[in-house]
Amino acid sequence: MLKVERMSKHFGGVYANRDVSLEVAEGELRGVIGPNGAGKSTLFNLIAGHLRPDAGSISLAGAHIDRLPPHVRARRGVAIVFQGARLFAGMSLLQNVMVGAHARSRAGLVSAAFRPPAQRREEREIRTQAEQCLDRVGLLELADRPAEGLPLGQQRRLQVARALAGRPRLLLLDEPASGLRAAERTQLADLIRELNGAGTTILLVEHDVGMVTSLAHRITVLDLGTVIADGTPAEVTSDPAVVKAYLGTGADHAAHH
Amino acid sequence: MAPVMSRVMSRPQPRTALVVLACVAACVAPLVLPDLTFFMRMVMAAIVVTGLSMLMGYSGQASLGQGAFVAAGALTVAVGTTRFELPPLVALLAAPLVAAGFAALVGVPLLRLHGHYLAFGTLALLLMVQAAMSTFDVLGGALGVSGIPPLGVGDRVVVGQLPYVYLALGCLGLVLLLSHRTVHSRFGRGIQALAGSQTAAESAGVPVNRSKVTIFALSAGYAGLAGGLSAFFTPYVSPDSFPALESFTYVIMAVVGGLGTIWGGVVGAVIVSVLLQVLNTVSSQPGLPPTAAPIMQYATYGALLVLALLFMPRGVVPSVDAGVGRLLERARVEAPG
Repeated sequence: MLKVERMSKHFGGVYANRDVSLEVAEGELRGVIGPNGAGKSTLFNLIAGHLRPDAGSISLAGAHIDRLPPHVRARRGVAIVFQGARLFAGMSLLQNVMVGAHARSRAGLVSAAFRPPAQRREEREIRTQAEQCLDRVGLLELADRPAEGLPLGQQRRLQVARALAGRPRLLLLDEPASGLRAAERTQLADLIRELNGAGTTILLVEHDVGMVTSLAHRITVLDLGTVIADGTPAEVTSDPAVVKAYLGTGADHAAHH
Repeated sequence: MAPVMSRVMSRPQPRTALVVLACVAACVAPLVLPDLTFFMRMVMAAIVVTGLSMLMGYSGQASLGQGAFVAAGALTVAVGTTRFELPPLVALLAAPLVAAGFAALVGVPLLRLHGHYLAFGTLALLLMVQAAMSTFDVLGGALGVSGIPPLGVGDRVVVGQLPYVYLALGCLGLVLLLSHRTVHSRFGRGIQALAGSQTAAESAGVPVNRSKVTIFALSAGYAGLAGGLSAFFTPYVSPDSFPALESFTYVIMAVVGGLGTIWGGVVGAVIVSVLLQVLNTVSSQPGLPPTAAPIMQYATYGALLVLALLFMPRGVVPSVDAGVGRLLERARVEAPG
């Protein structure tokens, strides 16, 4: 499904990603963990197309996508939920989600001007489907509210709904649980499990190691821009290199508190 | 915009009534006004500002040089009819297309700029257009283009000012309808999204660069239409016809009327035009120095912007809309059923 091969990206002299390889199977829920500065966000931005790799390649379902701009990758089925809010201010929740349907609709300015039946039908479909996506994340009753000023948990869920509106094949979640309260985390974990159960391939970057190990089929561990481990949650958490680089310091940290 | 939309749905009467009233007033005004030139200029400005307001308010891109596209439209008519013997009607239809095409061409490099840089980039474009007009004889040179024939089909030719005024009003109506449909469409959602977050819009599948160029070209098309109409109304086009101050005025009109609304452009154009007309009358009173007019105009622009930003930061249309909404809400609470 997703194949990243020996991909590198450096900023000045610092490698954010170095020779990163990673293969995600169709329907898989892959976790990506690593300490701060491990290159997780860079990896996501490279896959979504907001950064260009200096070396290596990315392919989706057998086709190279590393030279495509982000909006074309969206059309190919890549959706991303950003760590920051990145909502569309001045638009309602429903309209935010309707923008997400851009990836799989086509009407342009000319059909907006003349409103032929095909355009009206597409608009109705987009609206209905956006409402379903909002319903799925539990925000339907807020559909007509403006998107700005939403509490963090709802912002995250709105972003998930927006991503779903494009009916993605590959969903990238960049630390979706950060800043959420325990109850919201559980809700979000349930939602992620449900989406993956419905067939969406998911790549999940998360600081909350417990959440990743409970959700992911396999986990890739990054440290200082390189992959240091790749395997099932059990394999990865017992890997000495991982314990040293990440879990070890985390455990020390936890022990001190 | 959805809160606005839902409000429209819950109380359609006052809005519809206002729109009908405005249309009737616009149709009657030319018959009773003594000075049609002023009215025509106001309608032209409303067409330009409707496009500018859409560009600035929905897609978040600024332009201090809309005059460049007004000029492109006016030149299409002036040069097209006098040099290339285009039929006047064809020249008028070509005016918005040429302006939009010109904008699409310069928009590709220009729209890589953001914020203030884009504003100054568009201003530079206007200055370059002015320079080109006074340099190249094809575009009229320093003397400008005169002898533009009246609008007409075959032997039937428009006589007097009144038909042009109604034609311009019809164009304004079309432009408003087109803006409404553009904003409430997939394309419209895309440009609003890119104003909110370019990265997120791209990842949602919005072709950001192409959308920016398209909305820029559309607003330029409106400006070109206004330019084409004005070239028939005042059959003389010169580099001095498009001063930078007029392009600034468009921005002030857009801000005063309310960015991110369909009617903001029209309301802003009417308020600022009427104000300028009053100032003109006052400053041409005997005893005042000839510099009174420009000084008062600049002072008024400054005062208007400060007042608008202090008391109606979102512009007249959204503020009045919200105010009327609150009044109706109160009326409904006090008199239930």
